[in-house]
Amino acid sequence: MIVVQPFEYVRAGAVAEAIGEAGAVGSAAYLAGGTTQLDLMKDGVLRPSRLIDITRLPLGGIEHHEDRLVVGSLTTMEELAADSVVGRRLPFVREALLRSASVQLRNMATIGGNLLQRTRCRYFRDRTVATCNKRAPGSGCGAITGAHRTSAVLGTSPSCIATHASDLAVTLISLDATVHVIGAEGSRAVPLTGFYRVPGEDPSVENDLRPGELITAIEVPLLPPEARSHYLKVRDRASYEFALASAAVAVTMRGTRIEAARVALGGVATVPWRAVEAEAVLTGAEASVALFRTAAHAAVAGADPRPQNAFKVELAQRTLMRSLRSVTGVSS
Amino acid sequence: MTTLSGPQLLGAARDRVEGPLKVAGRAPYPNDLSYPGMLHAVAVGSTIGAGRISGIDASAAESAPGVISVLTHLNAGPLRRAPVTPLGVSPPAPLQDDVIHHYGQHVAVVVAQTFEEATEAATLVHVSYTHEEAILDLDDPRAERRTNPWGRDAQRGDVAQGLAAADIVVDRTYLTRDNTNNPMGPLTTVARWEDGVLLINNSTQWATLEHTSVAAAFDLPLEAVNISAPYVGGGFGAGLRVWPHVVLTALASRTTGRPVKLVLTRPQMFTACGHRPKGKQRLLLGATSDGMLTAIDHEALTATAMDDDNFEPTATVSAAAYACPNASTRDQQARLNIPVPNSMRGPGAATGNYALECAVDELAVELGMDPLELRLRNDATTHPQLGLPWSSRAMRECLLHGAELFGWSRRTPEARSMRDGDMLVGYGLAAVGYPWFRARCAARATVRQDGTAYVCSAGTEIGNGAYTVFVQLSAELLGLDVERVTFGLGDSSMPAAPQTGGSGLTSSVGSAVHEACRRLVGDVLALVAEDPDSPLYGCSPEDVEVGEGGLRRRGDPTRWESYAGILGRGGLSELTATGESTPAKPQELGMAPAGAFGAKYVEVQVDPDLGRLRVARAVSVIDGGRILNEKMAESQIIGGTVGGIGMGLLEEAVSDAGTGRVANATLGDYIVPVNADVPDMQVAFVGVPDPANPIGTKGIGEIGLVGIAPAIANAVYHATGRRIRSLPITLDMLL
Repeated sequence: MIVVQPFEYVRAGAVAEAIGEAGAVGSAAYLAGGTTQLDLMKDGVLRPSRLIDITRLPLGGIEHHEDRLVVGSLTTMEELAADSVVGRRLPFVREALLRSASVQLRNMATIGGNLLQRTRCRYFRDRTVATCNKRAPGSGCGAITGAHRTSAVLGTSPSCIATHASDLAVTLISLDATVHVIGAEGSRAVPLTGFYRVPGEDPSVENDLRPGELITAIEVPLLPPEARSHYLKVRDRASYEFALASAAVAVTMRGTRIEAARVALGGVATVPWRAVEAEAVLTGAEASVALFRTAAHAAVAGADPRPQNAFKVELAQRTLMRSLRSVTGVSS
Repeated sequence: MTTLSGPQLLGAARDRVEGPLKVAGRAPYPNDLSYPGMLHAVAVGSTIGAGRISGIDASAAESAPGVISVLTHLNAGPLRRAPVTPLGVSPPAPLQDDVIHHYGQHVAVVVAQTFEEATEAATLVHVSYTHEEAILDLDDPRAERRTNPWGRDAQRGDVAQGLAAADIVVDRTYLTRDNTNNPMGPLTTVARWEDGVLLINNSTQWATLEHTSVAAAFDLPLEAVNISAPYVGGGFGAGLRVWPHVVLTALASRTTGRPVKLVLTRPQMFTACGHRPKGKQRLLLGATSDGMLTAIDHEALTATAMDDDNFEPTATVSAAAYACPNASTRDQQARLNIPVPNSMRGPGAATGNYALECAVDELAVELGMDPLELRLRNDATTHPQLGLPWSSRAMRECLLHGAELFGWSRRTPEARSMRDGDMLVGYGLAAVGYPWFRARCAARATVRQDGTAYVCSAGTEIGNGAYTVFVQLSAELLGLDVERVTFGLGDSSMPAAPQTGGSGLTSSVGSAVHEACRRLVGDVLALVAEDPDSPLYGCSPEDVEVGEGGLRRRGDPTRWESYAGILGRGGLSELTATGESTPAKPQELGMAPAGAFGAKYVEVQVDPDLGRLRVARAVSVIDGGRILNEKMAESQIIGGTVGGIGMGLLEEAVSDAGTGRVANATLGDYIVPVNADVPDMQVAFVGVPDPANPIGTKGIGEIGLVGIAPAIANAVYHATGRRIRSLPITLDMLL
C-alpha cells in the first residue's frame, strides 16, 4: 500500500519550530519512526494534512543518573535495549523491548512513539468497517459483537474493548516512569500511571497529551540493584506477535519475604495495566504459590470478558503467577 | 528406445536455474512490469454480505485527480462467463448485475494515472445497498446443500455391517477453519490490447486455462489472446482460476485504450482469489480388538459460495487410505454468502486426512494399540476401491523408516507420560496417501546447430522448482549438459499444459517432455540413418541412446555423432518436435496409478500452565516415486511442513457475524509461522520410480503439508491427554 491522501511534509529543525508547525494546522501529526503512523496513513485510518518530521530534533540519547534514566523520546527501541544500565538494572525493560516487533521495526521505532502506538484492533484499522468509536466517535464498537479473541478484558467500556499493544509501556508503568512533554504552553511532566485514558465514553482520547504536545523524554526510575524483574509475554506464535497476555514483575526480596513489588499486565487491557491490587497483596508478604494466586486474582479484579476472550482472564493470572515464580524463585 | 539413464531414485540436488535472476530482482514478476502509458486499476469491494446495490454514485471518484474511468455494473457491458473447466464452473463474469453474494465482492473498478490516485478515488465511490441477511454458518438450515458435488463419493461393502461386527467403534466430529493461500506476490494482472490482440501478464498457475477462459469472456478467437506468466510470486492454489479481477483488468484496458495494471491489495487477497473453506467432518471407524478395520464412514461438509463452485473433495481421501472391506465416503457443500473458496495446497486432502488420521489415532487409544502398529496392520497393499495393485506404494517403508529416524520407539504410550523439564512432550504420527493426478499435456523440444536445446510447455513456475527439474529432465532425455538446455514455461503460445496444481505438473509436463524428446531424437536419427557417412548409418531408434550432446549406438560408444554435427551436415539450424502425453486409465494400465505416500512424525512440547505449544521436531518420509532433484523436492516438503504447522497451530481467517467480513485480513493479523515456530525438519525419500508414467515421478507439491496438522493434534493428545478436535489448536484450548 502507498500513502494516498496528499499531505504536507515539514522537517522540523528545532523543538519550538515543531510545536509551532503543529499548531498552525488542525490535523497535524508528528512523524518519528513512523512504524505505526505510516501504516495507519496507508490504510486511510489516519489522514493528517501535515506531517512534522521530528527525527532531526535533539531528542535522542539516554542520560544516566544514579537512580534513574532519562530516555530521549527519539531513542530507538534497539538503542534502549542495548543500553548497559537497562540490561543491568532494568532487565525486564530489555526483555519487553526484545520481545516486541522485529529487529527491523525496533531499529526504526522510537520510545516516544512506542508509548503512543495505536491498537491493533482490526475494527479500528479497517476503514471499511463503519463501527469504531475510536476512529469515528459515536459509531459504535464492532469488536464487542465481532471477532474479539485478542480484545481487552480490563479497562473496557461498552464503547471500546481495544487492547493496548505496547510491551515496553507495561514495564514502564510498573516503574512509575514519568513522561516529559512540551507544548505551546510550555513543558510539563506527567506520571505514566496517569498518562493513559481508559476508553470510557470516548475511546478516541487515549492519553493525556494536549493538541500539539510533543513527548521529549521518559524518565525511568532504576530498580534497586538487588531487585529481580521479569517480563513474560505469552502469544500465539513464538515471535513477531503481540501478547495475548503479558506480565511485568519486579520484586525486592528479603529471604522469602517480598519487600516491594511492582506488577503490570499487558495484552489484556485497554491501557498498560498497573496491577496495584496485586502489589498490595504481595508487598510485605511471604512468597508462596498461594500468595501468587491471590495476587493474580486481585490483578484481574473487575475483568469484563466476552465469549471469545474469556480465556484471557485465566491466562493473565497464570502468566502473572509464572512470572512471580520466576522472579522470586519460589514455586511451592 | 528408452532414454532414461537409469532407475535412479534421487536426481541431482541442483540449485534453481532461475535462482540468480530471482535473487538479483531481475525475474519479471507481473507486479514489476510496466508499459508506456500504463494506467492503474483498483477494485472497490462490497461492504455488505448479501443484498443488492441500490445505487452507485461515482461522480466524486470520476472527478478525482488522475481518474480516467470508473467501471461499475451500470457501464461494464456484457461479459461472458467462461466455460466449465476441469475443476468445475468458472467464476461468474464480474460487474454484470446488482446482486451482492459476499463481502468484498468487486462492485467497481477505478482506473487512474497512478496507483495512489486510483486508491484514493476508490474510497470516493459511494455505493448504497439493500441489505439481505447473509447466510454464513455451515449449519444454517437455509443454506442450500450440494451432495456428492464431484461425483467422487465412494462406497464398498456394507458399512453398517462392518460397524456391527466391530469390537470398538469411534465416532468423532472434527472442525477445520477458513485458511487463506496468500502467496507473497499479490495477484497481479497487466492487460493491454495491441492490434485487436489481448495481451495479459498475470499471476496464474494455469496459463492454458486462462487463455481459453479470457478468450471466451471477451468472445475472442484464441489467437487474439496471449497469456504470459513466466514468473509467479507463489500460488498455493490462488492462481488456479481465472478470477474476476483478471477479466476486469482486460475490460479496463479495452475501455481506456491503454495498458492497465491491477494488483490485489493484501486484504483483497483474502476475498478475491479463494481460500481453504471451513469444514465439519464426522468419522466412524470400526475395528476388531486386534486392530483390523471393519468399517470406515467419512462424511464431510465444507463451505462454498452462492454463485460459484470449488473443488474440495474431502471425505474422498478415506476411500483408498486403508485396507478395510467396508467403506463409505460422502462429501457435501453448503452454499454461503462467502467469497468463493478455492484449492489451497492439498485441497480436500489436507482436511480430509486431518480428520481421518486423528480418528485413527483415537481408535488406537481405544484399542490400547501403538498407532504405528494400527496403521501397519491396515496397510492397503492393493488399491482398496479399485481392487488393482498400486503402480507403486512404499507406505510401509515410509512408516517404518520414519519411526526409525524419529525415534518412535522412545514413545511411552500413556498420555502425559513424557516430559522435558517442565514441558509436556508428545509424539504424534499421521500417514498420508496423496491422491494421484496427471493430465494430458504437450511439450515442444528443439535442438540447435550450436549444440543447445530449448524445450517448452505452458505449465507455470510458481516457486516450485519447475524450471530446474524440467531443465534436468530435458538434458537427461537429450543427452546434453544442463547448461546447454533452457526451458520455457508460462506462456499460452507454448504447447498446452495443465495447471500447476493437484501435484500433477511434473508428471504431466515431464511425460510430455519425454515424448517430445523421444520424437526429436527419432527425427534427428532419421537425418542420418540412411547416410553412409554417418557413424549412425543403419541405426533404428531402438539401436541408439543419447549422450555427450548427441546420439550413439548402444553398446558401441565409438559410433557417436553430435546434434551439432548432424544438423550442420543437413544444413539445418535447428530441429523441433512436439510431443503429447495422456495418462492411461487404471484398467488399461492394469494397476492403480499412485500418488505420493508419506509418514509424518511430530514432537510437540506443551507448557502445562500456559498452554504454549511448540512443534519441536518434524520428520517426513515420502514415497514420491523418482525424485528429479533432491534439493527442490526436500524444499517442497519443508515448505509444506511449515504450511502444515500454520494449519495446525495458527491459521484461521476469522469472519464477522452478519457480514462475513474477514476480520483479520492482513498478514499482521492472520498469523503464519515465523522462523521461531519452525523446528528442526528432517525429510527422507523412499520408494522406487513409479511405472505409471514414463519418467517415474509422483507429485510431491502438496504432500508436505498434508498430515502435519493431524500429527500435531495426535502429539498434543499424547502430551496432554487433551483431544482437541478442531484446528487451529491454540493455547486457550490447552489452559
